[in-house]
Amino acid sequence: MTLLAPAFLLGLLAIGVPIWLHRLSSENPNRQPFSSVMFLEPGEPRRVLAKKLQYLLLFALRVGVLVLLALLFAGLALEGRVQNLVAETARLHVIVMDLSASMAHGERWNRAQDLADTVIDGLDNADVAQVVTAERIIEVIAEPSLDRSATRRAVATVAPGPFRVDYGQLISSVDSLLRSAELPVVVHIITDAQQTALPTRFADLAPRTPFELVIHDASVSGDDNWAVEGLAWSSVSGDFVATLHGYADADAERTVALRLNGTQVAAQDIAVAAGETAQARFEGLELAGGANRVIAELAPGDDLLVDDERYLVVKRPTPRPILLVSSDSRGRAELFLTSALGTLAAQAYEIEQISPGALAEEALAEYVFIVVADAGALAEDDAAILSEYVESGGALLMALAQRSAGLGQVPVTGHAFEPFSQFGMEEGEFLVVGTMDRSHPALAQMDELRSTRFYRHISLQPEETDGVLIRLEEGSPLLVEHPLGDGRVIIFGSSLDREWNDLPVQPVFVPLIAQLSAYLAGDHRISAEARLGGTLSARSMGFAGGQIFAPDGEAVLGLAGAGAGDDVLVEQVGFYEVVASGQTELVAVNVDQRESDVTPMQANGLTRWRDLSPGASRAGGGNVALVETPPTELWPWILALLVVVVFVESWVGNWHLRVRRGIAT
Amino acid sequence: MSGMTERSPGDVQHLLHPEVLASLSNLELVARAAVHGFLNGLHRSPFFGFSQEFAEYRMYAEGDDPRFVDWNVYARTERTYIKRYLGETNTRLVILLDASASMGYGSGAVTKLQYAKFLAATLAYLAAKQHDAVGLIVFDEEVREHRAPTSRAGKLSGVLHAIDRASPGTGTDLKVPFETFRQFERGRGLVVVISDFYCEPDAMIKGVQPLAYQGQDVVLFQLLDPEELEPELKESALMEDMETGESLEVSPIFMRSRYREKIQEHVQALKDCASGAGADHELIKITDPLDVALRNYLLFRQRRG
Repeated sequence: MTLLAPAFLLGLLAIGVPIWLHRLSSENPNRQPFSSVMFLEPGEPRRVLAKKLQYLLLFALRVGVLVLLALLFAGLALEGRVQNLVAETARLHVIVMDLSASMAHGERWNRAQDLADTVIDGLDNADVAQVVTAERIIEVIAEPSLDRSATRRAVATVAPGPFRVDYGQLISSVDSLLRSAELPVVVHIITDAQQTALPTRFADLAPRTPFELVIHDASVSGDDNWAVEGLAWSSVSGDFVATLHGYADADAERTVALRLNGTQVAAQDIAVAAGETAQARFEGLELAGGANRVIAELAPGDDLLVDDERYLVVKRPTPRPILLVSSDSRGRAELFLTSALGTLAAQAYEIEQISPGALAEEALAEYVFIVVADAGALAEDDAAILSEYVESGGALLMALAQRSAGLGQVPVTGHAFEPFSQFGMEEGEFLVVGTMDRSHPALAQMDELRSTRFYRHISLQPEETDGVLIRLEEGSPLLVEHPLGDGRVIIFGSSLDREWNDLPVQPVFVPLIAQLSAYLAGDHRISAEARLGGTLSARSMGFAGGQIFAPDGEAVLGLAGAGAGDDVLVEQVGFYEVVASGQTELVAVNVDQRESDVTPMQANGLTRWRDLSPGASRAGGGNVALVETPPTELWPWILALLVVVVFVESWVGNWHLRVRRGIAT
Repeated sequence: MSGMTERSPGDVQHLLHPEVLASLSNLELVARAAVHGFLNGLHRSPFFGFSQEFAEYRMYAEGDDPRFVDWNVYARTERTYIKRYLGETNTRLVILLDASASMGYGSGAVTKLQYAKFLAATLAYLAAKQHDAVGLIVFDEEVREHRAPTSRAGKLSGVLHAIDRASPGTGTDLKVPFETFRQFERGRGLVVVISDFYCEPDAMIKGVQPLAYQGQDVVLFQLLDPEELEPELKESALMEDMETGESLEVSPIFMRSRYREKIQEHVQALKDCASGAGADHELIKITDPLDVALRNYLLFRQRRG
């Protein structure tokens, strides 16, 4: 506790009481009305001065009592002195406790603490010990000290967390920590020697600082673990797929339960082969509107609980309207689009169809995006209306189909067509997709597009600011994204029905339309999953600001930070809630899958690692080392002084009051 | 109050104690009670009675009230005589009542002003009972109430009410009431000044002396609280002047020694000055019964008669 502790400061406020009382008293001396002062003479100054001194003494004693009381409760202690009391044979022992998630497996943590105690017991009297924890970052929790009990207390107060440890980063951090050490150093890493914690390059395990490395293995051979490594939801089928991984030497049958918004809705027994994965599929589950919390869990759990649950957020938004502008009375484009979007389990959109001439009568701002089945059907007025809609933040998917062939330029965007390329193929010939931008959110996992045949297409000349998402094999752009004002237009250089291509009957049509729709509607921007150890902000969820609540319910980002763009460290697994503008978004956080593999590294791997350390040698020139001695508690002295002051205060106060009350003079 | 518990049945002397009188709400009642108590204690006193006791006959003179002619004597002697009684000496009594702020002081149940009001009311009642004309001047730094002397029936209650209304005012200036008195009162008579006399004796005598030369009999009743005469202070205290508001920190030692000497010197100086001016001075503690003052008053009146 320091002098700035709130309790101490509150205690100091009590000093105000005697100050106030004495001030009142001094402002109201023993004042008596008297008939006349004509026969009175002022008292002797010496007597008055003595009285005032006595009064001040009493005041000082009372303030002193309160200050001593506050100091007593503040638990003051003289900080341990930094001394050079290291003997010639002394060494600095740095005990590194691995707090990665896998250390919580079975009895590993208990073994780790026992190993730490053994290390501490084995230290020479002159040796200095320091405790460091390794998880997301390396942290010193006990400074170098000769106080063994402090070292033990530090070890006892820590526990494994959900994070992953990389041994390469660990060695690098310890290197930085010990750069200024002036004693021979022995680093004790107490860990489960997890195979997956090894860095990509084995050489990264080599320390640059000369210290002796001792690795204390807390793992037990034969440890096994089963983890729910994945949980996915198909927006097409609406099925959930949980992936179970067995890190064991034998086959096993495990039960996976699925909880939806806190209620278990299904469970499945699946056989997991040794070292293999197995999947459990859950079908026909009804989702609630908005964001759903889905947890796949191993029931019952195993020795490592943190990876027995997998979290997923599935959003089922209320259907939002999209507008299809089509002059096709047979409605083929609408048929294909409606079929594709209707296949989605999310049922995210409702399609309304109008003819181009009716655009002026529609309130376009209500639609999340607009699809124009054939840009050639748009009159100039229609194009102007759509331009205004896009510039104000709207999104437009525009196909260049049969009626566009006679145009000089693309309506709305004004792109010029490539000369002589309005019709790509002769009868019976076709083109396939050549290149596509896989990093684009609308085209993720769209490799099947390559099997689509394009019989006709209209090429346009992309502008510098445009993004060409798909090119046909002969190089002409097929799908172009064009920014316009605050919105964007995606131009598809072929038809949305089967007139110019066979895309609508290809299996890839449904996911392509789904992803394009999500992209145009802006849903792709919101990620419902965050990485453990990463950061999360309300801004990343599409809000200008808001509160963020951790899985344990604590507000990790309050209203004070709202809008400031503050990032929150993601350090718990489960569901984070981002609340803003009356809306709640969920973010799922899962443990790193590599922590589930509890297989320890081979014995020779450990030996090789040890051999990488150059051994202990003194880095400094002499025996000088700064070591902190245990702090000296001050409370016995303060208590004794308090007793003395209280006695003196009582005596002076009694004398003072006796005079005031006139008991005796 | 202890006198109340020790008195014998029929003993009305206790009515002269200021604490007892303070319990009476009506000042006229106070005056009656005090006079009743005082007169009942006079049976062994050398004073003449105050009833219609015969004193002498004198020849009727022009201007005398024919109602007082003794017609029996006239029948026997054919001369008109006026029958005179002891109480009929036609004395005028003017009471000068100090109602300054310092008179509001009192360490006990009764303040100096309350005591002064009892005394003034009792004197007025006693005088009226003797058919004396009674006048009143209530003053502090200025004259706050002035009632010309009169013996007319019913005027006594007006005087008593005026006394009753007196409350502690501001400072004291003895020159003002004496000048008022000289301005309005020409005839000879008794002048009773009731005050604590916190003033220089010289200033007091400058007011009294002209009255004495005028032939007035002046008696000064100086009322003081026992705490003013013999203060018992336990510790240093800030004494605040009730008239001027001036404060002074004094020590208990001073109040026990030097102050007592100074106040006694002041009282003695007042007494000497009064004596030199032909006036009488009487120091009265406000814890004393009223009979001391009443007795002195009667002595003066007898001398006047």
